[in-house]
Amino acid sequence: MLEEPRIGVFICHCGGNISDTIDVARVKEIIGSLGHVKLAETFEYMCSNPGQEMIKKAIDEHKLNRVVVASCSPRMHLDTFRQAVKSAGLNSYLLDMINIREHCSWVHDDKEKATSKAIALIRGAVERAKFLEPLTPKSLKVTESVLVIGGGIAGIYSALELADKGYQVYLVERNPSIGGHMAQLSKTFPTFDCSACILTPKMVSVSQHPNIKIFTNAEPVAVKGSPGNYQVDIRIRPRYVNLEKCTACGECARKCPVKKPSKFEENLGQEKAIYIPFKQAIPNCYVIDKDYCLFLTRGICRICERFCKGEAIDFTQQEQVVSLDVGAIIACTGYSLIDSKLFGQYNYGYHPDIVTNLQFERLMLQGLHKPSNGEVPKKIAFILCVGSRSTATNACEYCCKIGCMNAIKHALLLDKSVPGAEPWIFYTDIRAHGKGYEEFYAKAREHHTTFIRGRVAEVVPKGNSLVVKAEDTVLGKQIEEPFDLVVLSPALVPNISTKELAEMLGIDLGPDSFFLEVHHKLRGVETKREGIFIAGCAQGPKDIRETTMESMATASKVATFLGRGKISVSPEVAFLVPDKCNLCGVCIEQCPTKAIKKGKKEVTIDPISCVGCGICVPVCPKEAIDLKHSTEAQLIAQIEGVSREGDTSPKIIAFIERMTAYGSADLGGQSRRSYTSQVRLVGVPSTGRLGIKHLLHAFASGADGVIFVEGDDSLFKEDQLRERIIQLKKDLGKFGIQSLRIQSITTTIPQFEKIMSLFDAFVERISKLGPIPREKREELEKYLKGEQIATQHAT
Amino acid sequence: MQPNTQLEKTNQKVETTPAEPLVQQKDRWAFVHEVEKLPGGENILDCLQCGLCAGTCPTRFAMDYSPIQIIKMIHLGMREEVLSSSTIWVCSSCYSCYSRCPRAVDITTLMMSLRNLAMKEKIPVKKEIKPKFHKTFYEIVRKYGRLHEPELLMKILKKSDLPNLYNNVKFGWSLLRKGRLKLRPTKIGNHAELLAILEKTAKEEAQ
Ligand SMILES: Cc1cc2nc3c(=O)[nH]c(=O)nc-3n(C[C@H](O)[C@H](O)[C@H](O)COP(=O)(O)OP(=O)(O)OC[C@H]3O[C@@H](n4cnc5c(N)ncnc54)[C@H](O)[C@@H]3O)c2cc1C
Ligand code: SF4
Ligand code: SF4
Ligand code: SF4
Ligand code: SF4
Repeated sequence: MLEEPRIGVFICHCGGNISDTIDVARVKEIIGSLGHVKLAETFEYMCSNPGQEMIKKAIDEHKLNRVVVASCSPRMHLDTFRQAVKSAGLNSYLLDMINIREHCSWVHDDKEKATSKAIALIRGAVERAKFLEPLTPKSLKVTESVLVIGGGIAGIYSALELADKGYQVYLVERNPSIGGHMAQLSKTFPTFDCSACILTPKMVSVSQHPNIKIFTNAEPVAVKGSPGNYQVDIRIRPRYVNLEKCTACGECARKCPVKKPSKFEENLGQEKAIYIPFKQAIPNCYVIDKDYCLFLTRGICRICERFCKGEAIDFTQQEQVVSLDVGAIIACTGYSLIDSKLFGQYNYGYHPDIVTNLQFERLMLQGLHKPSNGEVPKKIAFILCVGSRSTATNACEYCCKIGCMNAIKHALLLDKSVPGAEPWIFYTDIRAHGKGYEEFYAKAREHHTTFIRGRVAEVVPKGNSLVVKAEDTVLGKQIEEPFDLVVLSPALVPNISTKELAEMLGIDLGPDSFFLEVHHKLRGVETKREGIFIAGCAQGPKDIRETTMESMATASKVATFLGRGKISVSPEVAFLVPDKCNLCGVCIEQCPTKAIKKGKKEVTIDPISCVGCGICVPVCPKEAIDLKHSTEAQLIAQIEGVSREGDTSPKIIAFIERMTAYGSADLGGQSRRSYTSQVRLVGVPSTGRLGIKHLLHAFASGADGVIFVEGDDSLFKEDQLRERIIQLKKDLGKFGIQSLRIQSITTTIPQFEKIMSLFDAFVERISKLGPIPREKREELEKYLKGEQIATQHAT
Repeated sequence: MQPNTQLEKTNQKVETTPAEPLVQQKDRWAFVHEVEKLPGGENILDCLQCGLCAGTCPTRFAMDYSPIQIIKMIHLGMREEVLSSSTIWVCSSCYSCYSRCPRAVDITTLMMSLRNLAMKEKIPVKKEIKPKFHKTFYEIVRKYGRLHEPELLMKILKKSDLPNLYNNVKFGWSLLRKGRLKLRPTKIGNHAELLAILEKTAKEEAQ
């Protein structure tokens, strides 16, 4: 305690919403008599101007240094009252709000019981208020630059957008050229724009933009720092060709004696060991493949060096790591195709004329031919959903989203370029969502594409042709149809090393293994880590239009984030209690935002990355971590205050996570879902904040059961919660308390029914168990005061 | 306001007898849940009606309903039609559908379960299906502990079905020449144990 607390308690009638069910006069009387409470007042509408004036005047007149407002949900009016006390010269963190409307008057009918519960809740807040400390949000300058990881269309678009807004952008691409998959495509659905024609001008803009610096053959290897100020190490692999000197004349490649399959041509063509991925590559510079170059593998040759007039070849180049300071990061690493060989029935890889749709793009651009003999194929089967929409091992449960439209595009392109072509599309369902897509599908039907509804069973080479076997589910008939060429539409999966990148960045992957956004609809380009954003297919399969739209949204979010110039950091963060930590490091793994770092001599908690969930606090065996604004002293005082008050039995304390779960209970209140008044709610940053000590305090001071209510989207994940509960049950056993006295539940906001029915059922269960005997409570009290008790087993 | 003549017209034509629903909602889910409890029926509601099973099935040509249709019929609660279909008897348990089904529907095992259910309920089998085949098959296996193909053929092929008989004898001859077929039946070792197993399962089935 900093100074002698002088507490003022303000109880709101809420125009009858509270006072009709709760006897506010009695509440005022009892609360007013508590120690350190200098003043208790009631008022019709506390949030109104006169209500706020009343608080301000009282602070001044009674020299209050703590304020408790008992009214509606803090989700509603916390800011209102914080402003009010602030304008009266009090630090806004010396205010506490306690919810006696949504969590009390609206959900109970019995006036007696509701009043008693309200007194308990307010008493908890008063006890807590005694320990409140003034806090100030930190303000930090942000670095006004952005790292964009991945140079596909998503990276290109967001880089340009941000550079145009004046930010310094670093674009890092793993391949020797930017462009991503779009550079490989022929024409694009549903408009038939030539992919290169719309992409390459953008690539050129990127390379010429004064605010963009491109790193190719490069990828991030380490990320440090915190939102607004990240330091990222980029590893750049040697190209062995000097970027400044190479004029892309191509003399080197003409002379190079080594041929290798071209990755850009999806292995349907060859290039030299010194090559340029494609003509319009950016940077427009040759590169040496170190796995094929004779000099780099066997120390002979160096022919290219001899023929390069610009002396651009440089075998002395070494791998280098550069460090970049950026305020924000965009991860847009795109996708790759699932390996079709995983699905044996298509015989991919066993016959050259069974190709993927991406290979087909290249075949179209090369001049359509059969890879086996160069003849022009006429009858072509497009097989959809290869490895998509399936629960089989290795397959993807989600839809690839582009396979259908892409096959239709190919069918229509064939109609134009190969006279007499006969495209057949084997589909499960045609997915033609999106502007102009249904019309595109109709066009394909008009142009004599044959659509067969049935998932292909197998592709078997027979003589000169490939036989596709499937059921036409519309006819109810099996068909076996010969084709010249078979084109598979493989599932889209996250790009290689997406998982490692997510770990490096401290962001989550969804069940589909793509980067996970914070909210599917409302916060679609943000990740759980502030300052880190996502765009394009790295977030999930999508077409080009959706990718570019999303990239612009991402750029806009980044600009808003950086545009403030500084970030305000909540002071409600974890901190180390001096001289207690013994460097065991168990907290580090528990922290969901990687805010805790271990140095040689000390553990540090970064107050900017820390989100104040408090998960680390109870796991520290040395009690070396505490949490601002939810300190051990504050929390325990509140628990005791709430549990001690009143003589109802059984008493249940429900610890409720302050965002989602709390919102859910609020919604239950708004819906007037009445439930047992035996349950008293205590808000916590997350139930991960709680350990065995808090339970013991609750039981010692009058509680008979404890419930943890956690938000479904919380950083304290469901399995972590489950594990924590199992541990707590074991620990309670050691103190002779039945494990049935604790229960947990996770919820989304609308699922309040689930919480309320658990409350009712739990009270029933605890009633059957009976209250905790007085001797037991005394025993726990002694233990908590530091006296040893013999541990025993639960009955 | 203009009267809505369109509506008036249609109103006059409204049918008085309600349309017959395809299935009774209550019965429908009852059958689905019954099937879900059978071995092989666990993932029945996971089927996305892609048709791969039908496309891959080697005995599809001889079935009255394809595997995907059987699944759909289960979804619709068409219990009688499913249990009296020829499909469940024609299925040769090749596992091709199950191994390729994208939603892990174990159709093969399900077909066996449906056969058992049909037998238990003494549902008459379509006349083109010969439960005689299954019965004879079982008797031979019971007798020797393994199958003896020539005996099976002799017992189930009708003397009158000459072309079929001829084809089978021809095929049998080529198998015989390659040593893939034995004229004399052989018994497995420990035949008594097999009999005991069969007795026990029969008893359990009966319960
Ligand atoms: C065969 C086929 C045809 C298609 N046709 C069409 C069409 O006609 N119309 C349409 O709208 N859409 C089409 N699409 C979809 C289109 O390809 C995508 O929407 C688009 O390319 C997505 O762009 P992106 O930038 O998100 O990903 P990508 O193009 O995959 O780009 C990602 C980039 O990130 C780089 N990268 C990955 N990891 C790292 C790392 N760790 N460090 C640095 N860089 C990294 C990659 O090298 C790549 O350059 C088609 C897709 C396929 C497969
Ligand atoms: S987009 Fe079409 S091809 Fe791709 S998984 Fe979905 S339904 Fe199948
Ligand atoms: S409070 Fe949460 S975010 Fe902060 S250091 Fe502890 S575990 Fe990490
Ligand atoms: S293969 Fe599987 S998912 Fe497809 S129709 Fe048959 S049972 Fe359904
Ligand atoms: S297991 Fe039966 S239904 Fe399935 S493919 Fe084989 S024969 Fe057809």
